[in-house]
Amino acid sequence: MKPLSVRNVDMVYELPKGGSVHALSDISFELDAGRMLTLLGPSGCGKTTLLNIIAGFLGATSGEVYLGDDQITGPSRERGMVFQQGALFEWLSVAKNISFGPRMAGQKPAQYRPEVTRLLDVVGLSGFGDKQIYELSGGMQQRVALARCLANDPEMMLMDEPLGALDALTREKMQGLILNLWNDTGKSIIMVTHSVEEALLLGDTVFVMAPRPGRIEKVYELPFAKRALTEDTRELKSSPEFQEIKEEILAFIWEMEEEIMGREAS
Amino acid sequence: MDSNDAAEMGRTAGYAGQGAGGGAIANALDDGKKPRRSDNKTVTFGDAGAVVSDKKWNIIGVVTLIAVWFLSTRAWGFPSDFKDAAQAAFQADGGSGNISDRELFQRCQLASDCDTDGYFQLVNPLSFPSIRDTFSAGVSFISDGYRGFSAWEHTWASLWRVLRGMFWGTLFGVPIGLAMGLSSKARGFFDPLVEAGRPIPPLALLSLFAVAFGIGDASAVPLLIFASIWIMIIAARAGVRNASLPKVRASYSLGASKWQLLRRVLLPNALPEIFTGLRVALGVSWGTLVAAELTGVTDGLGATISQAKNFSQTDTIVVGIVIIALIGVLMDVLLRFLENVLVPWQGKS
Repeated sequence: MKPLSVRNVDMVYELPKGGSVHALSDISFELDAGRMLTLLGPSGCGKTTLLNIIAGFLGATSGEVYLGDDQITGPSRERGMVFQQGALFEWLSVAKNISFGPRMAGQKPAQYRPEVTRLLDVVGLSGFGDKQIYELSGGMQQRVALARCLANDPEMMLMDEPLGALDALTREKMQGLILNLWNDTGKSIIMVTHSVEEALLLGDTVFVMAPRPGRIEKVYELPFAKRALTEDTRELKSSPEFQEIKEEILAFIWEMEEEIMGREAS
Repeated sequence: MDSNDAAEMGRTAGYAGQGAGGGAIANALDDGKKPRRSDNKTVTFGDAGAVVSDKKWNIIGVVTLIAVWFLSTRAWGFPSDFKDAAQAAFQADGGSGNISDRELFQRCQLASDCDTDGYFQLVNPLSFPSIRDTFSAGVSFISDGYRGFSAWEHTWASLWRVLRGMFWGTLFGVPIGLAMGLSSKARGFFDPLVEAGRPIPPLALLSLFAVAFGIGDASAVPLLIFASIWIMIIAARAGVRNASLPKVRASYSLGASKWQLLRRVLLPNALPEIFTGLRVALGVSWGTLVAAELTGVTDGLGATISQAKNFSQTDTIVVGIVIIALIGVLMDVLLRFLENVLVPWQGKS
């Protein structure tokens, strides 16, 4: 497993009508292998841009990103991606979706089949291999997306609001699944989310980002993700220390949102 | 189940449901009426999504069409004694079977003793054939063929031309459409061509093609290619543009190469649109058939129609039209069935 190193990343979008947006300003951080990082912040703070740069979908205006010793210049099977929705292949069965990565790498059915069966079990979809994507609920579709990402055995999993389209109950269950996957595989995970609660529960590191220019405003190292593996997550979420940090971050984000609104109004 | 059982069940459901819809249904049943809908909706007029093609009204529509045809071409009060005389004269002249409405009408016009007092007919059979005449022309077309070719040969000749036109139109159209969806250069290169070519009616190119490629199939098939290629280009283009960015990005993250992305993701993702394009193109090609067969071919349904026109055989023209219409409907049904089998995910995600 390789550590991630983000060095002085700047991202400036040129607008078609002239002018520019400073989406990220001088972002630098190191992330050890096996960490779970969650990115929080008001809209426009550049958290998805940062994720896309790490994924290799976007090139930074300046600065470099390294995974281990390799500089990131484009997407790679080392860095698996889970999107909010719409990234599954509807023309393929669940099993074929999961085996997509191995098949693209030229693996034969005999090589990837046992792994697909194992992954179906891991994400709780045993026996669903032959189902079609459109036959599954939103939560089950995200389970397929996670399994498909894992099938490539990536160094790191990147998630762009993976649970954003799910109802509250399914979302809680899926949070548990992601925690278990993180613990069992030991892979690094970076997740963008809008939910403060989700970010605090899942992230052993939380970045709270601020907009204009996009920057990392606060960094938290939290114990909740580890504790959630053994403790009851509901109790954990209602515990005073969890609530305290949640309120602190919410207040901070609110402040920023107000500031943005005020700036736009004037 | 009789209506009392239905009412009882409805009432139980209404009480059990306790909902406004259930109550409304129960009330309707208390009035002795059947519930109009099984989904308990009380707002129905304007609920356009729930409108389907009612099978019963399909039949009523077809029957109405035939009734209008029958009533408007029927001769009311035609002198029956003249009818008998004309039938005898017709057979004496070497005609076989019953005299046609058209022949009868012509003889009446020429005869001095055809008394048409109290005679009424909305459309005379010289302008538009009666059902009886069309039916006998259809029977003769199917049993004896028309001008040297059997009915099957005519039909197959047309079908084969359309299939060839579609095949080449798809073979060239889909890659061009894919390229246009994937590259700004290809888009820029083909856009003027497609935008200008699309509105040109194939009929306008008929003479040009006949001179350039020669008469017969040599220009009929290119004409049908022309009819379908624009539709296939636009369908494939729309299909590629429809691929969501997450899908494309996910594919690259999973290790797909550009070629694998095209072959394994973009192409299958475009299949629903390509299929819709095929259906539209088939309809348009089939509709261009008559024009395409004006290029001097002697077999085919379109050729049958244009030859029948030269002899004012309106009944044979209508037979040709009806066969074209029926095959068009059949092909669409077939393609829709294939669509459900091959792209079952369409409209379900």
